Amino acid sequence: MKKKIAAMILSTAMTASLLAGCGGNDAGSTQESDSAATEAASQTEVEPEAEETDDTAQEEAGEEPAAPAETRTIKILSMWPEDDAESTANGSIIMAMLQQYQAEENPDFTWEYEYVDSDNLKTKVTTLAASDDLPDFFAYDAGTSLLELIEADLVLDVTQALTDLGVYDSLDEGAKTYLANLTGTDSIYDLPLGLNIEGFWYNKALFEQAGIDGAPATWKEMLEDCDKLLAAGIQPIATGAGDSWPATRLLHAYAIRLMGADCMEQAAAGTLAYDSEGFVQAAQMIQDMNTAGYFGVGATTVDQNTAADMVMNGEAAMLYNGSWYTSSLNADTNPAGEDGIGFFSVPAVEGGKGTVTEYPMNCGTILCLSKASYDDSVAGFLKYFVTHVGDYSMNEFGALKGYAVNEYPEDVGGYTKMVADEMNKVTGTGNWFEALMTSELSTVVQENVQSLMNGDMSAEEYCEQMKDTYELTKPN
Amino acid sequence: MNKVLGNKKAIAVYVLPGLILYTCFLIAPVVWSFYYTLYDGSPGIKWNFCGPDNYLRLFSDKNFMKSLLVNCKYILVVMAGQIILGLAMALMFHFWLKRFKSFVRTIVFFPVVLPIVAVAQLFTKIYEIQPHYGLLNSILAGVGLENLVQPWLGQAKTAFGSLCAMDIWTSIGFYAIIFYGALLDVSSDIVEAARIDGARAFQLLRYILLPLIRPIMVVCLVFSFTGTVKMFESALTLTNGGPSGATKSLSLYMYTIAFTYSKVGYASVIALVVFALCVIGSFFIRKLDKDITR
Repeated sequence: MKKKIAAMILSTAMTASLLAGCGGNDAGSTQESDSAATEAASQTEVEPEAEETDDTAQEEAGEEPAAPAETRTIKILSMWPEDDAESTANGSIIMAMLQQYQAEENPDFTWEYEYVDSDNLKTKVTTLAASDDLPDFFAYDAGTSLLELIEADLVLDVTQALTDLGVYDSLDEGAKTYLANLTGTDSIYDLPLGLNIEGFWYNKALFEQAGIDGAPATWKEMLEDCDKLLAAGIQPIATGAGDSWPATRLLHAYAIRLMGADCMEQAAAGTLAYDSEGFVQAAQMIQDMNTAGYFGVGATTVDQNTAADMVMNGEAAMLYNGSWYTSSLNADTNPAGEDGIGFFSVPAVEGGKGTVTEYPMNCGTILCLSKASYDDSVAGFLKYFVTHVGDYSMNEFGALKGYAVNEYPEDVGGYTKMVADEMNKVTGTGNWFEALMTSELSTVVQENVQSLMNGDMSAEEYCEQMKDTYELTKPN
Repeated sequence: MNKVLGNKKAIAVYVLPGLILYTCFLIAPVVWSFYYTLYDGSPGIKWNFCGPDNYLRLFSDKNFMKSLLVNCKYILVVMAGQIILGLAMALMFHFWLKRFKSFVRTIVFFPVVLPIVAVAQLFTKIYEIQPHYGLLNSILAGVGLENLVQPWLGQAKTAFGSLCAMDIWTSIGFYAIIFYGALLDVSSDIVEAARIDGARAFQLLRYILLPLIRPIMVVCLVFSFTGTVKMFESALTLTNGGPSGATKSLSLYMYTIAFTYSKVGYASVIALVVFALCVIGSFFIRKLDKDITR
């Protein structure tokens, strides 16, 4: 009997210690991983009334929220580090907006800023959406990916919310139309964090060194320039094909000049086959350019940041990139100086439908708001954000982010001015290659592009796989 | 003690806490995963009952077959590398190395404790070609083998081998230490007797040492199999499954399906395949174990 009792006591103690161990670990990990979360939790405990009010406000989402009287901790899930002034600067801009809002309008305002790298962003958001725990603001991919969240009624109708707040005009008209077109909806469900055109950037000194005077007007001229650069011992083009997307952008650049700026819309709608002659020619062009050595050796292992640095450092002459590149170019650390890098639109392809004034365009990775957690606290910051971010990003970083800019600084950076001048030439826009593709198709085109460049896969095979995946995964 | 263990209630009391935890954290998720296989989409976003569709899709999915093949190839290559080179290293410690034994053992074991992300960063630099040659390409260029300089991670034909080399390098120390322990247990009398009988190095290994360390060999096979079947972190951090899926394992494919394509149901089917692969592998290793015990 005594042994039985001893056994019972021992096993009880064992169970208790196991459970205590689990509990202890949980608490420890929470504290370690995110001390701000603990802070937030404690704040919720102390202020149950505030939470109740939030819930009520949440039910009334869509109606005009009052002034930011109620405050809770706002959660922001970002794919930009808090201090990224030398890349897109989006993290720095969001942080500045948070701090300014706290200092100028709402001293009780608190936030949690969580950084997740771009590779894991979609995973994180999908998981949070599945557990009904989307953060108040979160970075996400525009286009098809966002459409899934819209259809599941998880993201806030930004048009409605900003109209209710009376600040819808603070968004750039072009950005509004662009974002609505991307999702094919009447309203927009996301905030832009960029208004970028894409094209080729070139190192003027290297062009001069190779005896090239000025930017090429046609694709053929660009290839001839590549030969001249090679002859001068200069790598003609740096491409961050290690990240895959810069390579598909190049393919896209040729495709839109050959088939017109709306070729991707046609392909997504099923009126232009992904294995049509135009796409095969574009794929073949990228492969041929790599075979000719224009992208340097091992182009498929270089990431886009390295490629961008190579052009500034004078290690390569050209780069295909978006106008977000100006943040790096305007920085004091740019070895090419204030006027060392030039820009030219994707050159025309002989016999092609596209014109050089049609630019591939994008609004960067966008910022969405959770519909379920939208309340006065979020509305207060949202209003401040859209009315101030345009001026702030222009003044501090010389960057257009898709918001109205009331005051342009006098000493706007040379590169920013160059992009603004290019934007004035725009007569038509196209998306980026994967904008209207399903996740599956987007993955396939990016996974295969390195093999296409290396010659492990023919242009026909590449396009055939695009077509097959499109057929398998196209929305009904 | 026998009296306590003979008592069914006592056994229940001892076993129950562990069993409850095991059920909650292992069996329940597996059953839950099976339930997921009957649905399409992602919970909370698009979540529709689709019956056996996900299972049927498996047979026509070329990428799944490709990932399965990559995974099996990886298991074979890395297991062979870990066991053979681990054993070779242990033999070197035991029979050949006379000085600095501890130092060399520490150096060989060192990669085992490094985080895989750091190792992947290190190897990315070693395999680098642009903007500057990495260590490997520099050496090749330095010794006049310019024609072998290539983007090791950027082309399908070399990426898989490069990944395997990294993973073998990382874990070789672990197996070397286990085998070294086993070799220390082999009586020196037996080795000496074999030598007196005229056994040469290979014969000594084949007929004396290997039979004596077979139980440890089975343990190493189990470790190696369980480590390689899940092939994920190293492939994700070094090549992200590319190029063209040349290093995409089943786990990585499952991850893409679940979190990039938002098809949790189909990903769960692939998870069950990985589970089946583990069961089959464990069965064969257990069988080998039993044969040895007999």
